[in-house]
Parts: sequence; C-alpha cells; structure tokens
Amino acid sequence: MNVQMENHEGVLVARVEGRVDSSNSQDFERQLQGAIGDEVKAVVMDLGQLAYISSAGLRVVLLIAKTLGQRNVSISLCALSDPVQSVFEISGFNRIIQIYDTQADALAAAG
Amino acid sequence: MGDRDSPDYKILVVDDEPDLERLVRQRMRRHIRGGKYGFEFAGNGVEALQVLAEKQDIDIVLSDINMPKMDGLTLLQQIPEVNADIRSVIVSAYGDMENIRTAMNRGAFDFVTKPIDFTDLEVTIERTLRHLDEWRAALASRDKLVAIQNELDVATKIQQSILPDTFPRLDGCEVYGCMHAARNVGGDFFDVINLDGGRVGLAVADVSDKGVPAALFMMSSRTLLKGAAIGVEEPSTVLREVNDLLNETNEAAMFVTVFYGVYDPATRVLTYSNGGHNPPLVVHSDGTSEELELTGGLALGAIPGFEYGQANVRLNPGDLVVFFTDGVTEAINMSSEEFGLESLRGLFRDGRTPGAREAAEAILQAVQDFAGEAPQFDDLTCMTLRVADE
Repeated sequence: MNVQMENHEGVLVARVEGRVDSSNSQDFERQLQGAIGDEVKAVVMDLGQLAYISSAGLRVVLLIAKTLGQRNVSISLCALSDPVQSVFEISGFNRIIQIYDTQADALAAAG
Repeated sequence: MGDRDSPDYKILVVDDEPDLERLVRQRMRRHIRGGKYGFEFAGNGVEALQVLAEKQDIDIVLSDINMPKMDGLTLLQQIPEVNADIRSVIVSAYGDMENIRTAMNRGAFDFVTKPIDFTDLEVTIERTLRHLDEWRAALASRDKLVAIQNELDVATKIQQSILPDTFPRLDGCEVYGCMHAARNVGGDFFDVINLDGGRVGLAVADVSDKGVPAALFMMSSRTLLKGAAIGVEEPSTVLREVNDLLNETNEAAMFVTVFYGVYDPATRVLTYSNGGHNPPLVVHSDGTSEELELTGGLALGAIPGFEYGQANVRLNPGDLVVFFTDGVTEAINMSSEEFGLESLRGLFRDGRTPGAREAAEAILQAVQDFAGEAPQFDDLTCMTLRVADE
C-alpha cells in the first residue's frame, strides 16, 4: 500500500496504490488524517491503482468521510477498477460516497 | 464441579408468575443437582434488586418485562449500578418490538420468547455463560496489559462464544453453520433464529476491523439483530432498526455487513434484505447456481436513517443456499490467487446437492485445502440452508 498526496488548488488528491487490508489499514488512516489539514477544501481519493480493499480499508474511507462531513468538506472517489467498484457496490458505500469515472471529473465537481 | 452450596453459576429468575419457580426447578433439576446452576427467584424488579444487593455472585438475570412494582425494563437500567458484570436475558412476547427495542437499548444480552421453551432457554443460558467466561478472561488479560496477540485470542473466544452450536430441527429443510477463525480476527458471525409459524431467521455478518473493539461491536450487532428479528416481520425493517441502533454510539465508524433472511418451509419462500453483504449463492439440484440479487442496501452502522430494500425468492426442493463471508471467496493461496466464486460454484456441479452440514463443512475444507500454508487474514464463515427433496 502506498499513498501519494497532491494539492490541486486546495483540493487534496490522495492516490492510493496496492492493497489496503487489516494489516495496513491503521497506517492508511494515519497517512490520510495527517495530510488533511484545516485548509483543505475538498478531498478526492484516486483509486485507479488500488488493487484490493478489505472491510478494514472501507472503514477508514467511511471514517474520513464522516470526519470531513462534520466540517462540510466534500469527499469523492474516482477511477475505481472493476473489483474495487464491486466492493463499493456490494457494501452500498457507493450510495453514500460520490464516485466519478475519472480524476478530472472528480476535480471538476470538487472545484 | 461445585457442591450444592456453591454452584458454578448463579441465575436470578425475575417473574411475577408463581408457577415459574416450580417449573424451572423441575426442568433444570439435573443442572441444579449436578452443582452447575443455582437459582434465585424474585417476583418483581424491586425484589430482584434486593436479591442482587444481598448476593454479589449472580451471573445472569433472566427477567420478564411486565411485572408489578418495578418492571423488567426499569430493572435492566438499575442492574449495572448494582453489578456491572451481570448479563441479562429478557423474556418477551413474540413481536413486542417496542419493549424489545427498549430492552436492547438498555443492554439486554439476549432474548427468549414466551411461552418459554426450556430447550431454547438452556441453549441461551449456556451461550450467555460461555460468553461471560470469555468476557471475564478478556477483562483479566486487559488488566495485565498482555500482548496484542492475546487480545486477538480473547476476541476469537468472545466470537466463538456467541455462535450457535446447535441447530433447530425444521420440517422441510436443514440449517447448518460453521466458522474457521483467522488468527487476525475479522469479526464474522452467523445466527439461526427460531421465529413463529415454523419460520426461521438466518443471518450472516462480517464486522469491519479486528480485535476486542470489533468483537464487542459484533456482540451488540448480534443481540440487536436477534431482538429485532423476533420483534418485527419484514427483514428490511429488521436491518433498519439494527442500523439505527448501531448508529447511536459509533465514533470509531465501525460497520457490519449483514445478510438477513426469513425462510418459511411451508411456502419455500426466502424473504431477505441485504445490508452490504456479499450475496449468498443458490445451488440447484442440477448443479447450476446463481447469486441472490442485491436489495439496494448498505453496511449497518455507516449512517443512520437508511431505508433498506427487500426481495424474495421461491426455492425448489433440493436447493441449497450458501450464505458466506468474503473470507471464503477472497482466501488466497501461496501464489496470491483468490479462491473465488467460481471455485465455490464448482464444488456443487455434480448434481444433487449435499445435506446442509456436509455442504458447509465441504466448503470450509475446500478453502483451507486451497489456501494451504498461505497466511489467512479473514475468518471463514459458511451457513447453509438445504431444502428437503420432494
């Protein structure tokens, strides 16, 4: 698992690569929480290079979404591979977190 | 084994029905004589609190709801003040959702319905006592600040202690369930709930995350689900109730995916609601199979106020429904390949589905054979419903 952070004019883009499961979900949470400062306007998680996410990983996404929701900061996901898309559809998380096809779409909506 | 003066476990029965004491002493006489259970009796909540104040060694309170002076729901609120180490089992009327909901909110551990079925009561008491033993062990190990692995062992034991180990005998179908816990506890559970009219409630669930907090979240999910299942008819309403209750206190953003279905052997109809869980597989006696359609659900605990969908399917004689957690299909072998849904389907291509127990055990065995020495990070849980042949 590897997370690359980029700042696109106040929108934090977190590019997640590899596998997120219970062995590294705490690290995943720490990295995201650490990168989300008070000045962040919106968060886009680019999951294009994410191969697998377990329920422990989903919990981190939910936790971040809830924390941001309290601050009225939007969060969206983009570029999900088919297996990852399927995890979000089965768990129903696609109903509570906005998902876009591409990072450009997500950034356009966030901007 | 203890002697008659100090039984292994003490149970306080609270009910205003005077005949109940005689009945309990008669039906439980083997356990009383063997020194396993000791019983105390109280006619209402006030008397119960007096008994609890005098006797600090009560393990379980089994209480009716409607009683004079102080009812069972008020008693539930008072118990932790007297002794926080007690587990309460509530005797409720079938379908009395309002009282069941209040009891769930006030920390009831389990439910039995009226009229009391003593076989069911014994299973419930045994399970509660097993849970208490594990819980006390967990507290003791926390006190000693043992290593994380021990905490996970404790979580596994808490998990094992709430799973059914006996399955109801039903007309027209068989039910079985089993679990193989990973070292790294994922928090799976399943439950088989007797409902009225010969129907049966079937639940399989997977809690996000691991360790003792996840085990405790799993425990309350199970209790809430059982309470809601005996309180309301529709599976979608059951999931909505449980979801709202789980959302009342959930800072850690934990969630649990739940598939809950009610099967009626008389009509062979399975009515279900899927709360974010991987869909069960229906295997027909000709070897074909399909997944049960999703119902537009969401994992429970994620957000309050969510409305769950519902669907139903009419099963055929000889059909086998496999309810499982993603630990089964996502198990990996030494080459990092997943077991996958196709391998699961492949186990039953030969035609004529096996019995419920044979099928569930064959699935777990096949997954373990496939995984070999590769370390597994998720529990393997499998529950099966096999419709009788024509």
